Parts: sequence; structure tokens; C-alpha cells
Amino acid sequence: MLSSDTFASATMKPFIVAENIAKAYGGVQALTGVSLSIAPGEVHGLVGANGAGKSTLIKVLAGLVQPDAGRIVVDDVPVSLPTPHHATNLGMSFIHQELAFIPGMNVLQNILLGVPKKTRFGMVDWQAAARDVAPIAERVGIKAPLFASVKGLSTAENWLINICRALVRKARLIVMDEPTASLSAAEAEKLFAIVEDLSASGVAVLYVSHRLDEIMRLCSRVSIFRDGRSVGCLEGAAITRPALIEAIVGGKVEPLAAAERHPVVGKDVALTVKALTRAPKVNGVSFELRRGEVLGIGGLVGAGRTELARLIYGADRPDSGVMTLDGAAFSPRNPTQAVKAGLGLVPEERRAEGLLITKSVAFNLQISNLANIVRSPAWPLIHRRKREALSLQIVRDLAVKTPSIDTPVGRLSGGNQQKVVIGRWLLRAPKVLILDEPTRGVDIGARGEIHRLVRELAARGMAVIVISSEPDELPDLCDRVLIMVEGRVIRTLEGEAITRNAVVEASYFVGGQPTQETTI
Amino acid sequence: MSMVMSGGRRLSPASRAALGFFARYATIIGLLLMIAVFAFLSPRAFPTLSNFTNVLNQASLAMIIAGGLTLAVIVGELDLSIGFAASLHGVLVTGLIVANKLPIPLAIVIVIALGALIGLVNGLIVTKAKVNSVIATLGVGTILTGLAFAYSAGVPIVAGVPEAFLQLSLGRWLFGIPNNIIIMAVVLGALWILVERTALGQEIQAVGGNPAAARLAGINVDRIKILGFVVSGMCAALTGILLASRLGSGTTSAADSYLLTAFAAVFLGSATMRDGEFHVLGTFVGVLIIAFGFNGLNIFGAPTFSQYIFQGAILIVAVGLASLGRMISES
Repeated sequence: MLSSDTFASATMKPFIVAENIAKAYGGVQALTGVSLSIAPGEVHGLVGANGAGKSTLIKVLAGLVQPDAGRIVVDDVPVSLPTPHHATNLGMSFIHQELAFIPGMNVLQNILLGVPKKTRFGMVDWQAAARDVAPIAERVGIKAPLFASVKGLSTAENWLINICRALVRKARLIVMDEPTASLSAAEAEKLFAIVEDLSASGVAVLYVSHRLDEIMRLCSRVSIFRDGRSVGCLEGAAITRPALIEAIVGGKVEPLAAAERHPVVGKDVALTVKALTRAPKVNGVSFELRRGEVLGIGGLVGAGRTELARLIYGADRPDSGVMTLDGAAFSPRNPTQAVKAGLGLVPEERRAEGLLITKSVAFNLQISNLANIVRSPAWPLIHRRKREALSLQIVRDLAVKTPSIDTPVGRLSGGNQQKVVIGRWLLRAPKVLILDEPTRGVDIGARGEIHRLVRELAARGMAVIVISSEPDELPDLCDRVLIMVEGRVIRTLEGEAITRNAVVEASYFVGGQPTQETTI
Repeated sequence: MSMVMSGGRRLSPASRAALGFFARYATIIGLLLMIAVFAFLSPRAFPTLSNFTNVLNQASLAMIIAGGLTLAVIVGELDLSIGFAASLHGVLVTGLIVANKLPIPLAIVIVIALGALIGLVNGLIVTKAKVNSVIATLGVGTILTGLAFAYSAGVPIVAGVPEAFLQLSLGRWLFGIPNNIIIMAVVLGALWILVERTALGQEIQAVGGNPAAARLAGINVDRIKILGFVVSGMCAALTGILLASRLGSGTTSAADSYLLTAFAAVFLGSATMRDGEFHVLGTFVGVLIIAFGFNGLNIFGAPTFSQYIFQGAILIVAVGLASLGRMISES
């Protein structure tokens, strides 16, 4: 059912063809020869798990990222896209998840940002501009007056303004990244109508979404990416939910060899979370975490998992909900208090939030452990030999590949950097360790080592939470898995029920009633 | 026009290493070169112990205020209030001694405590009210200038300054070394140990390096930032006191110009030995460069305006070198 040739079935001459695009970031291959072709007026879907390379390809098309190899052809002419400006001039328009407006400007000014305008006596003739824009604004259904401020407009309205902006620039391809992520059902309906209208008038749409129902409804063709490769292109009637999931996950969806899971029912409860809420991302999450347990939290990006971790860790304050740690009330006002109480966090964004990238390996290992490496509390000079010994011990235990402990951590590979962030917490032996995407951008060898380490920590009695968007990771690693969708836990998988298939299936769960509502 | 896409600009390892060396040691090489050139051009007046002592003595106050500023910039903030604060402190300490007849040590302690308080206010405005530090400290600094004028009515306090107070800055109490140099050495030594050798110093460096990561590592980022401002405020106070002692008067605006010197020195320092990171030893080198530059210009009778041109140019060169270092270390 998967057509192997991406280009074969385009009946019309394609507007844009991307061929064998490759891109590596540092040592990580984000794209390995992906191809895509989009015909005029086509609504083309793009799906794939997180990290499959969708965003990178979009950035390449937008001229934000320069590919290492491959070529892009627009209207049969090979083009280069060194800057976003080039992409715009070729008729491409990009609407990102986070919409960027200039808040001090009105609707019209935002629509015409960067577009040459008519002038009278050297001043912009806004009335003439409004006359030009008005029919387009009406076509896409913008309700707000053109001279109104963009402040306080709804997300849906912002989308319409962006579409209008694209049309004013005579865009022939509009790339929409997760367009319905923050829209209500009714607003989404309106957007679908506009997409169909655009398509009918010859404007192509590249529709990037995790929401398979929308993909099935809108798209005439769907390209699927996995691990930075194009794995196929589905067309027409072949676009079905099972086919999409199979392509996204890859091959047969069978459970992997189950990890040695431990029944932890008898163990002490380390952490309880009750009805934890911080609107709109986290909505009444409850669970218990026992000592020695590895609890996975699965779901799609944007499901509220990182936000949940930040609430538990005190990095954000909840609107409501309560927690206990080792039976005592626990409500950290900031990470400092959480760390003191016995928590550790390995953040999702390793370089931005985990590491001091220009500092040494030893610096990064010891930064949460300073109290243990000073000469005495009253004489808080760093005991350099103690610092060195403890750092070397972690480097050895975790097999961190580094020339020395004084090497800037930024020179290490992703996997070794991640080991440093994890190693930081080993020195403190926290009661609860939260790992957010612990193996993202990590090579396969280091990934196995990190997994072994996590199991080992659990065996020693640490309670571990692993957040992962990779369907493979949780079955390999966890005793129990919660699946979050839109800020809620919609399913709990245990033991043999934790399969790649089950994780993916539950993650794409949209609408209806959660199968297992956890309320207190 | 068929094309193969290239993967952006990349430096060859050799040119990267060469550029890296240049970015790290250009300031020190520049300093040595400058000293060599001045010594060559003016072998009688320039390369003498008394001239070098004189330069260091002159530079001591700038080193103390710049040392304090270094702490503020390490934690990732700017403190523009230091020059104005030092002027107020100079007026105040003379006033307390002359008008209020306070014992000199008590007056000094009060003024340094006030410096800490100003730092605390700066820190609270920046961390709790989330006001950008440039604006916050510029505002506080302007208020302090107003207070200095209010206190002294704009008239320098000259009459009745006791000799003992003048001796604080002019004396040579240990081994014939000027007091200023000794005080500066103690202050910079203490700051260096604080930043480089203590647990607190590790947290200070972490907050400056990446506040988000520092916070998630469990560091109380706000408290560390406030500490940076407090140290900066105390060093400004000490500078104001020593300047009043050297001038023998409390004069409004007397220390204002230290602001630019301190900033130039701190950025020169960040381009010294480390890739664009602020550090105390670097600041010391930074002030030396400016001080020797001024000294040379003086010896050759260059007009006063040239000092401004020199200092402005050096600030830009310093920041350029620092960002070159950062770019290389991050590439």
C-alpha cells in the first residue's frame, strides 16, 4: 500500500520538489535523504513521530537551515534558499505553531509586514492598503477590523491573519505546522473550510499534524517520515488510520522483548501527585510513584508532560493540586527546594537547560553537589582533590567519553553530555529522579547504556520518572506507563500491556472520553 | 543553475586555533606591546619602578570598582549605578567625618554598609520586579546623584577634612607600598577566591553561564544575582571613600567617570585568557591596559581628549575580542 515512489502519482506538474535532503546537527543526523513533492492546489499531509525530521525539513524549505545535501526544485528550476526571504519570493509561506506578531501594530500592519506598500507624499497610504487587503481578509473570514490591535485576538483569528498574510504575498504553498493544536473544534472546522478553499483556488498546503483524523479528512496525499527518512507516501483511499500508524511506527507493530520489570506494588510510595493542574497544559494529573519503580510518561509533544515535570520539580507553580514526598506534604516553591527535598531533573533541552556548555565536565557534574565538596561548611572553599575524585568516579561509572574532567562539556557528544547531566544527580542520590527525553539526540550505544543505568538506579531503590516521545523507549524501560493527551492522563499501561503499539495508539487518542479517568 | 548545497561556513582547525589564540591573548600581548613601545620611546620616564608604582596606585581605585562590577556581570547583569554611587559615597563619607564628627572607621563602615544596601536595592528591583538591569541601575544611579547634590548642595566638602582621612589613600603603611595598592590587592584577591575557589563562586559562574540550567540544577538564581549587585555596590562604596581621601574632599560627580573605565576594563578582561567569560583576573589586566595607556598618553603630552578616544576605542575592541572568543568556543 505504501507507494515507494514519492513522485510517481503527481498527476499535475509539481510546484515544488525536494530531493534527498540531508542535514546533520553536530553528530546527529536529523535528515537522511528525504524527498517530497507537492502539486499546485494539493493538500499534502506530513506525519511522523517526534524527531522524525518534519521540523528540520520545514526549516530547510523556509531557508532557515541549510541542508548538507540534496536539491530543491521549484517550477522545474533548481533553487537555493539561503535565507527566508528567498523562500518567500518563491511563493512559500510558513505558519508556525507559535505565531509571531508585532503586538504594538494593528491587524493590517501585521498582514503587510515586509510587503512594499503604496505611499502618498512619502507616507504609507494605509487606506489604499486596506482597500487591497479587505477582499482577501473577507475571503479567509477575518472578523476583526483591519485597524484593530492584534492584542487579545484569539489563536484562531491569529491563524486567519497569517493565512491572509500568505495570500497577500501571493503564496503558492502555505506550510501549516500543527494548525489545530490550540483551536477549538468549531474553529478547527472553519480552518478546514479555508484549507479546502485554498486548495480549490490552486494554493498548495503542506499540512503537518499529529492529528491523524485531520490528515485523513483533508489530505489527498500524505508523506510519512521516520528517523529522518521518507518512508513512503500514501494516497487517497490508502490513507487510513492503521496504515498511518504502521508507517509512523515502522514495520510490524509487535511488542518488543519486555524489559525485566519489577512488581513494585509492595514497595513504599515515594511520590504522590493528586489532581495537579496548571491550565492550560496540565489538567488534573494524579499518580503514585513507588521506590524502585520506573514510571514512563508517554504521549505527543505538547501533551503537557514536560510541564508536568516542571510542576513536580517546582520550576513552575501549580494552580491547584497536592503532592507528597515520602508521605510528607511537598509543595516546592522553586527547584532549589525540590532539590533539597530529594528530587532531581534531567531536562529535555540538554544544552539550554541541562548544561553549562562552556564549563568543564567537572563543573557540570558538581554544580548541584557543592555542599559535599567544600572543605567545611564554615570554610566553603572547594576541596579540589575531593572534587576531582568524585568527578572521576562518575566519569568511570557512567563510562563518559571525555579527554579529561576539565574538558568543556560542549565538546562532548550528545550521549556523553547526557551522561554528565544524569551523573550530576547520582552524586546526590535523589529519592525521585525525573528524566525528560533522556535519549534524544543520543547515539544507539549510549542509549543502551543510559537505559541500563536507569534500571540500575531503580534497582537501588530510586524512584524514576521517564518522559519519552519515542514509542520504543518506554516499553524497553518502564514498569508502568502513563499516556498523556492534552494535559490529562488518559491511559495507564502495566507489565506486558506496555507495547510500542499500545503507546502509539493511546498517544494519538483524540476526543471522546478518557478510558481511565483518574480523579481523586 | 544546478547546485549542491554547502553546510554553512566552517573554519579549518588550524585557523580556528589561531583565531582562538588571538582572541584569548590579544589583550595581554597588547598590554606587553604597549609597555614595550612606551619604554622604547621614553626610556627615562616610563620604565621606572616609581612610574609603575604610580600607575598601579592610580589604577587601584578603578580596579576595586571594576572588580565589584565583575561580580555583577558574571551573574549576567549590568550595574550602571557604580560611578554615581561612588560619587555619593565620597560626599557622604567626608560629610559624616567633617559635619557629623563621626570617627573615621565608623564613617567608613556606615558608607560601605550603604553601598551594600544600594546593591541590595538594585538586585531586588532586577530579580523581583523584573526590571532590566540597565534601566534599574541607571535609575538608581540617577537618584543617587540627586541625593549627593541634596546632601552637599553641590558644594564640595573641602574644609576640615582631617589629615588621618587623607592618609588612608595617600599613606604607605606597609613596606612603603601605597595603601591603595594594598587595599586593591586584598579586595581583588578576596573576589578572585570567592569566584574561583568557593562553592558560592561555582554557583555565581553557573548563574552567569546559563541561568535556566543553573535554576534547574537547584541554584537559587535570584539570590546569587542579588549577591552580585551587593558586592558591586560595596566595591563602589570603597572606591568612593578612597577617592574622597585622595582628593581630600567630597565632590559630587567626582567618581562618575569610573563607570566607563570599569566597563571597558571588565570587557577587556572577558577577552583575556577565557573565551568571553568575565573573570576577576581578566578585569585586573583590563584596568592595567587602560592605566598604562593613559600613563603613556600623559608622558607624551597627548591632549586630554585623546584619553576619551583611547578609552572608547578600547571598549569597542574589547567587546569585539570577547565576542570573537565566544563565537570560537561555541563553534
